[in-house]
Amino acid sequence: MKWLLITSAILFVASIRRPIFVVALGCSLAYLASRGLALGRLPLIGPQDTLAFFSGSLGLMALPFIYSRQTAGVRWFCWGCGALAGLFAALALPFPTINMPLPPILDTYWFELHVALAFFAYGLFGIAALLGVAFLQGGGKQALDLQYRAALVGYSFFSLSMVSGGIWGYYAWGTYWLWTAKELWTSILWIFYSLYLHLRLKGQTWERGFAWLGIVGFLVTLFTYLGVSMLMRSSHSF
Amino acid sequence: MLKKLYTTFCSLNLGLWLMTGVMVTLALGSFSSASSEQGGLNDMPLLFWLQRAPLGYSWWLWLCVACIAVLFVNALVCSIDALRRKGRSVAPHLMHAGFLLIVLAHLLSAYGGFKQQMQLPQGDSFGFPDGERVVVERITGQVGAMGMMSGYRADLRLSDGLHTVQPNQPLFHKGYGIYVKDVALSPVPVALFEVHKEPGALTAFIGALIFTVGNLMLLAQRKGR
Repeated sequence: MKWLLITSAILFVASIRRPIFVVALGCSLAYLASRGLALGRLPLIGPQDTLAFFSGSLGLMALPFIYSRQTAGVRWFCWGCGALAGLFAALALPFPTINMPLPPILDTYWFELHVALAFFAYGLFGIAALLGVAFLQGGGKQALDLQYRAALVGYSFFSLSMVSGGIWGYYAWGTYWLWTAKELWTSILWIFYSLYLHLRLKGQTWERGFAWLGIVGFLVTLFTYLGVSMLMRSSHSF
Repeated sequence: MLKKLYTTFCSLNLGLWLMTGVMVTLALGSFSSASSEQGGLNDMPLLFWLQRAPLGYSWWLWLCVACIAVLFVNALVCSIDALRRKGRSVAPHLMHAGFLLIVLAHLLSAYGGFKQQMQLPQGDSFGFPDGERVVVERITGQVGAMGMMSGYRADLRLSDGLHTVQPNQPLFHKGYGIYVKDVALSPVPVALFEVHKEPGALTAFIGALIFTVGNLMLLAQRKGR
């Protein structure tokens, strides 16, 4: 079924029109469903599955934004979301699929909830970054309002992911918190978006800074997800 | 003097700088060997580790704790100040309250936490601090299609009867959690156990619930705006 992932990557990158984006998303979700059915669980282990899940999450979370009337004036926005989702789908392709059953410690709904919610949040942070670019390119106040909404919903998903991760950790490891690089960067990401949401209280003079922070936040997200796994040793690494 | 202090701690700018401080210290700490698996930070309660670790090794954590301590006061004073004014939404302050409880929970665990790891064969036993013995009656496991352990469990006999522990299903007894971390079936069945005490777990859970309620209220309020 890898052809579904390849098709989704190509269509996402070519999604200059919304219907193409929807078909790409359909292929991405169909691929994830086929992996899920084959494994009997959510495909969340290993770089291929997580990158494909990230791509699908980004596409799914972008759907209400690309159909929003507030982004109608930003012509490249649909393509931007598609290119971002397509990039992660393409990055997943070189990695082999890992078809092993879940290790007993990961075989719990708390783990699946923890990881899935984190990827929904990552997707929304990516969309918020694109909306930040839209605002800086003259997309108007509407783009900034949408960026705030995307980041707020993403922050809510991410907070729930941390809560479910803490519950899982308590039942699996005996503690809701471990001092490892992944936990530290997860906390950094959470505090970063806490700071971002507080910065809105500073008012209109900080609008450009707010938009930039939404862009930087996605870089912190990418480092938390990919950088920590590649550069640091952690129990969370894939 | 008091008014000046109150105004300082009520400041949004102070909160923003402190959050930046926490992020920077955590980022620096993530590259430190202290936060690696071998750093020992996860093997004992945080306050014990901080007392024992050389300052050159733990300075980032001291700075981080200091920033969080001031941020705690900052969040508390900001919420009190906002709630004194009429017509303010309680949602952000519920989130603040959740955050404060989670910080308190970490403090409780940092002071009163406990962790002990032991490897025991079937038939062996270990003791609780009050002298009660826990006997490992039986260790079993299933090997999956790829030769990996697909499941394992240990039956433990305590004074109140026989209990089973398996991954994600620990046994809670007298404020301690007994976890089975790994099992080897040959040449004799052996299991790796961990006994944990997390005094802050309940407080952290309540804090997380309050935070989530506040977060959901905030989302509902922002919807359609």
